[in-house]
Order: sequence, then C-alpha cells, then structure tokens
Amino acid sequence: MNNIDEPIFEAEFNPDKIRSDANPDLAAQIRQLISGQSFGILCTQGQRQPYGSLIAYAFTEDLKHFFFKTQIATRKFKLLSECQRVALVVYSRCQHREDLTSVAAATITGKAIHIETGEEYQKGVNLLRNRHPYIAHFLEAESTALFRIDVVRYFHVGRFQEVSQWIP
Amino acid sequence: MDPLERHAIPLSQVADIDEKQIGGKAAKLAQLASAGFRIPDGFSIPVGAYREFITATELDKVIQFELGRKSFDTLRWEEIWDAALRIRTAFQTAEIPIQVQKDILKCWKQLGAQKSLAVRSSAPKEDSAQVSFAGLHESYVGVRGRAELLDAVRLVWASLWSDAALLYQHELGLDPLHSAMAVVVQELVEENVSGVAFGVDPRNPASNHSIIEAVPGLCQDLVDGILDPDRWLLARSDGRVIEVRPGNRETKESQKLLLDDENVRQVYSLLQDVEQLFGWYPDTEWTGRAERLTLLQARPITTSEPQARDEKAYYLTLRPGQKRLRKLAERVSGELIPQLEAEGEKLAAEVVTTLSDNELAKTIETRQNSLENWKQIYWDEFIPFAHGVRHLATYYNDAVHPEDPYEFVGLLRGQSMISTQRNQALTDLALQLRQHTGLLKRLNRLMQDTAETSVPFSTLEAKLEEHPGAKSFFQEFHKLLDRYMDVSYGQDRMKDQPLAVLRNLLEMAKTDSIQERETKDRADVRNLENKFFRSVGPDRETEAREILKIGRLSWRLRDDDNLLLGRVESQLLRAIEEGLDRLESAGRLEASVRPNPKLAPMMAAALRYPAGGRVEFPAEEAKTASPISRRTDIQERQLIGQPAAPGLVSGKVRLIRNATDLGKFQAGEVLVCDAIQPNMTHLVPLAGAIIERRGGMLIHGAIIAREMGIPCVNGVPNAADLLENGELVTVDGHLGIVTVGAAEFDLEIGD
Repeated sequence: MNNIDEPIFEAEFNPDKIRSDANPDLAAQIRQLISGQSFGILCTQGQRQPYGSLIAYAFTEDLKHFFFKTQIATRKFKLLSECQRVALVVYSRCQHREDLTSVAAATITGKAIHIETGEEYQKGVNLLRNRHPYIAHFLEAESTALFRIDVVRYFHVGRFQEVSQWIP
Repeated sequence: MDPLERHAIPLSQVADIDEKQIGGKAAKLAQLASAGFRIPDGFSIPVGAYREFITATELDKVIQFELGRKSFDTLRWEEIWDAALRIRTAFQTAEIPIQVQKDILKCWKQLGAQKSLAVRSSAPKEDSAQVSFAGLHESYVGVRGRAELLDAVRLVWASLWSDAALLYQHELGLDPLHSAMAVVVQELVEENVSGVAFGVDPRNPASNHSIIEAVPGLCQDLVDGILDPDRWLLARSDGRVIEVRPGNRETKESQKLLLDDENVRQVYSLLQDVEQLFGWYPDTEWTGRAERLTLLQARPITTSEPQARDEKAYYLTLRPGQKRLRKLAERVSGELIPQLEAEGEKLAAEVVTTLSDNELAKTIETRQNSLENWKQIYWDEFIPFAHGVRHLATYYNDAVHPEDPYEFVGLLRGQSMISTQRNQALTDLALQLRQHTGLLKRLNRLMQDTAETSVPFSTLEAKLEEHPGAKSFFQEFHKLLDRYMDVSYGQDRMKDQPLAVLRNLLEMAKTDSIQERETKDRADVRNLENKFFRSVGPDRETEAREILKIGRLSWRLRDDDNLLLGRVESQLLRAIEEGLDRLESAGRLEASVRPNPKLAPMMAAALRYPAGGRVEFPAEEAKTASPISRRTDIQERQLIGQPAAPGLVSGKVRLIRNATDLGKFQAGEVLVCDAIQPNMTHLVPLAGAIIERRGGMLIHGAIIAREMGIPCVNGVPNAADLLENGELVTVDGHLGIVTVGAAEFDLEIGD
C-alpha cells in the first residue's frame, strides 16, 4: 500500500494530480457508508498532541462539507481553535465482527471552519437537526459551537486493506 | 388485510389477537364482549401504531437520551418528573404518521364521530394477575372530535413514560427499545350512577366478602378519589348484604342510596359471571342500572400493589388532583401557614433566660413537640401542596403546547415571599453601606483581620462604635437579624452567625449589579397570562385562573414554609443552648457539645434533676464518609446534571455546607451546595454560577437562577464530594454539564 502524505493545503495540493478514477462507484460507496452511520471520530491536533473525539455529523448532498457541533468547554474546541486541519473517521463498525473484510471505513481529511452566524450557520444546524433530531437541545444550546469541515479528500478502505481515494 | 397490519381495530375483531399486541385491557374487554357482556363499543390501537409513531418521529431516541444521559439510579423524583414532562412534550408536538392517523380515524368514524369518548391506556403488562400498577398510565374521558382524539392518543402513549411509571421502571421492566403501549378508545357511556366492584375484599382476601361501591355520574370521579362512594359489603357465597355505608357527599341526593336491593344484586351477579369467565377474583368498573348496566373494565385483583409506606408510593401521593389541591390551598394558606408563623413569633418572643430549670425543661419539651408536629404537617401537607406548581405546568402545556416545557415558569415571576423581602432588606442595607465609604472600608479591613482571628461580633461592633454611620448601620443590622435570621440552617442558627451575614453584606456592597437585578417584569408576566387564557378559551378561563392561583400560591408557600419551620427549630435550639450554658456553669457538662434538636429529651431530664450529676450527651453522629473519595489517578472531567438555568460561566468553586461557609462566599464564585435553601437565596445574585446536588427544573434554586440569568446545573450527584474549594469549573447551564479544570494537554506532552 502506498503511503500517501496529506498535501499541505493550498501550497502543494493539486487534486488533478491524485484524482483516482479506478473505481467509478467509489463516490456511491462513500455516500452509502456515511449515510448509514451517524457518528464519526474527529481527529484534531494542537499543543503537539493528536486527539480523537466522537461526534455526530451531518453532510451536504455533494459530500463536500460535513457539519458538527461541540460544546465550547471541551478539549476539541480548544484544539480546533488552534489548528483547523482535521480528519474524520467513519466506519461500519460492529456489524461484521467476524468478517473484517466486510468492514468499510473512510478517513476524510479537510479543514474545520468555525461558523458563528448567518445563513451558513442555519444551514448547518438544520442539516444536523434533520439527521439527529434527538439531540435538538444540544444543537440549539448557546454553549456549543458549529464547525464545517471543508473536505479535501476521502480515503476509502474496503476488504481490510483495499484503499482508494476520492476528491469530491 | 391481516388485522395486525392495521393501526386501529374494532373491539369486535380483536378476540383472537395476542394480548401482547392490544394490551390487557383491550384483550379482556374483547373476551367479555364475546361472552355476551354489555360493554361500550370501541376500538383498539395496538402497540404497532405506537412503535410506528416513535420510530417515524425518532421519539425512541428522545426517550433513550432522556433516560440515559445520566445514570437513572441517581435521578431524584423531581428529575424523573422533569424527564417525564419533556418526553410528554415531545410526544405532544410530534406528528402521527399519516397511515396510523388514517386507520385511527376510520375506526373513529365507524364508532360515531360525534360521540364523546374515553381514551384509555392498555399496556401489555399493566393488568396481569401478578402485577397491578393501576393509575400509572393515563386515561382521558370526554374526548370529542378528531384533534382531541389524536391529542389524547399521543398523551396515553406518552404516559408509558409518565413520572409514576418511571418510578416503577424496574418493576415494570420499562425499556425504551422494547416497551410499547396500546390504547383502547371507547364510547363514553354517561349514566347517572357508576362504580367499582370487587369479587373479594382486596384488603382482606380471606374474608369471603365482595364489595360494591357507587358514585353519581362518571366512574372516573370515584377512581380519582373525588367523590366518596356508597359502599356495600356482601357475602361472597350468596350476595347477602352484610353492611351498607352511604357516601359522604354533602348533597341532598346523597341521603338516598344510589343502588336499590335489585341493582345491588345485579352488580353482584355481574361479578359472579366475570369470575366464572376468567377464573380469578375480578376488580371491575361498571356504569348504569338495570338493563343499562354496562361493564367498563375487568382485571384480576392483586395484592402486590405498592405498599403504603413504600417511598415510591409516597411520591405518588405528591401528585394531587385539582380537587385535593384546592382543599390543600385553603388549608395551607388559610390555616397552617398563619399558625406556623404565629408559633414562630410566639416562641421567639419568649424569654428563656429567666425561666427556672424546671420551666426551661418544660419549654424545651414543648418546643420539641411543636417542631415534630410541624415537621409531620410539612411532609403530609406542605410537600404535596408544592405539587400545585407541577399541576400548573401540565395544564399550561396541554393548553398552550409550548416548545419549551418550562415556559409557564414565567408566570411565577415577581411573587413576594419572606425570602425576597429579606433579600430586599439585605440589598437596602448593602446600599446604605455603600453610601458610607469610610465605614465600608473600615469594615472590610476589620473583616479581613477577623478572618484569621475569629473576633466575636460584639468586639467588632464595639471597635466601630464611634465611627460615623456605624450606629445606625448596626441598629438596622440587628433589626434584620431579628426579623429574618432567627432561623436554623442545618444545626446552626443564622442569628448566631452575624459575622457570616455581615460578610455577605460586604460582598453585596461590592457588586454593581445589586440594584439592576430587578426580577419582576410585569409586562412579560401579563403577556404570558394572556397567552395562557387565550389558549384555554373563554369556557375554561375560570378553571385556568384557579389553577394559576394555586400554582403561584404553592410556589410561594413552598419557600415560606421552609423559613417558618426553620424559625420554630431555631427557637428549640435557643432553649437547648440556654440549657447547655446552665449545665456548663454548674460544672455538669462532661464535654462540650453543639446544640441540636436531638439533645432535647436528655436536656429536659438533666434540667429537672439537678442531683443527677454530670451529663454526657452522645457525641454528634459522625458524618458518613463521602461515598466518593478523590483519587489522583481517576478524575472526573465532565459531571452531568440537569440544565437548570442557561448560561456558560467559568469560576472557582465555593462549597457551602453550613452557616459558616455562607459567610465565606465571595462574589463571582461558583456556589456548590446540596440545594439552594430559602435562607441563602440572597447569595444567588452574587454567584457566578450554581451547582446543586438536588436536581430538578422546578426547584427553587433553579427558578431563581433562571430569573436572574445565572447559569445553574443541578442534580449533580456527589457534587460537594467531587469538587474542592478554589477549583476551576465551567458551568454549562444550557446543557447541564460541569467541566472540571482547564482543557490542558500538559500530561500528554509530558515535558
């Protein structure tokens, strides 16, 4: 398996160069995976420390953006305020304990932007509310902050080690 | 179509359907109908409809979240009530799936759309022969029209998660994922007599007696305990009447028995038939006489009902209906509170220092009896009356359907209570101090010194004797102590803690906010009142006004009763203190002991028998060790409680455990306590935020904090054990989370 380094944003990043069309159904597979799951692991970094947190997410139809909310008094909020570069891991966990080859996973890399007000804020909250109505009180709480992940690319893993990437 | 695929099935077609699908009530009604009993026509809404409703609306996740965000075992009953209210509100505002609605409305039209209906719960486990938890789920009678029917169905579904049901969740095996509720909708048969009948006396199953009870009108008035019934005790063997007791209903008609001999025989015969059909002793509800005699429901008599002294059963008594609340309101406000107030004033006026030892012993006993008596009244009447606020909540929410189930709290604003009068007096005095900057500075300096040396208050007062403004200040201060602080807090008398009160005053004088925090906003209250009355409509406005009045009274008196009871206790402590002084002077005290009400009997005996020699009072009970001790390897990072008042504030912890701690409180600190008591509400405006062990959205600390815009998280178990004075916490009153410490990563980095 090739070891792919995440390119530096803006500077070295050239999506054309790494676009993979080996599997035309990849986008559909990714859509199916993230539609079927409600939660993902958000990976943040800062203070020389990687950190992982479980989040409830929503995404836009074009799969270019994810939204999530976090309470302000948390470590992940602090780290996000210091560094926008994040990864989000979504996988079809627990359903196929005996058969590892049927687990699907996606590692989504991108930039997490703090959205404080405006139409975009409302859009993000609405998407989250539609997907997670049972935490409406959390989504409405003033002590939480909305983040939008602008996706750079997806790394899709199937059959244990089959990895493909897709730029939305 | 398979009947089970339908979301509503006429009772005439449910005979072959498993009880698990339609619930015990519907299954038995169907059996009775098949056997030829006269029962009201109706239809069943099987559990499948409930499941479809909660899945389509994701209410299943709401229930799971509500019951799972905090360990259920740590929820106090107030929190359980709140959880049930939030679930109920979510059910009320959720849309029933179209197909479910269509099926229900089809059966409704077949039954007769213009008819008045009874909509009852029929939970699969509710009426089995092993367990009976009658009354945990809701029934609605007199329901008319499409919208009312669907609302009633939603509420019966929601009552699977009622506060009463949640109290018994273990016994009922309630589980958000698997539990479900069926509903029975029946034509409401309105006869002029109804009642209950038992195949065997449920209080004494070995007695060989059957019982019949009857009231005028609907059976609901009997079941709800609103009307006292006529009662017949019959021989089980042949139906012979052994005893008749007419009900006490204060009307002319009540003089005459509601059933004649023939009517009684018919009900007895109905009981016999039901028993023969099912093979168990029946507990039935019936209505009408002679050929109109109709069976409303039948279930087995069980003796495994909640025990009367059971704690949970006591909580169930804290849900009095409108009629009982009305009576309680009259008695509590008209008789008890004035009596309690008079008792406190009378005892406070008594001089104990001039009494002989014998007289003092008698006084101590009298005061102890008085305190015990009032404590009993507190449990029996004051606490149930406090439910008036919750009754208002449910009534308001049913009428207004607000998104926020606590919107009604706005109606409680601006009520004058003893504590608000005291807080105003403290504020006035703090403002007076601010006018005398010289005195204020001097006091602050002296108090800093006394913090280390614990100088008595009298010395401090003497030091300032000549200072301009001091005389009038201390005069007012003493007046305030006499008027408001002669109350107990734990085992302390607040009046004995003048330094603590003075420190609070100095903190109040520091903050600019004391004048601004005017909590009354009359216009807002009036707008909310108008919204409420508009929603109930002109026909029910009188009823709504009464419920509002009782709700407000209940909220106000719930605060006053605490302070007034504390005043009576303070007088007992004062007398015991005097006794201790005398024993000490006489050299009879073996070891010094703090006055507490438990010393009363021994103290009285010691005073009566001076020859008794030295007295050793039992040592104070050691405080039970904290169930959670702080460890260095495991640390709580986020404590979960109830989001009692919104806001997000970080600050340093100040634990309040007794009257001395009250005096240590500094403006801006996070107040951590068991519960905000009425005698400490003056600290609320000073607090940066509040954390309480006792939980609930409607407890006083929560409502006061909300009025003042101060974040509050309550229902944090072991809050006082897990947190330490001076520790940094972030109180998230929006979400009910207390975050301990800063978001640091030093440990991970290591160096």
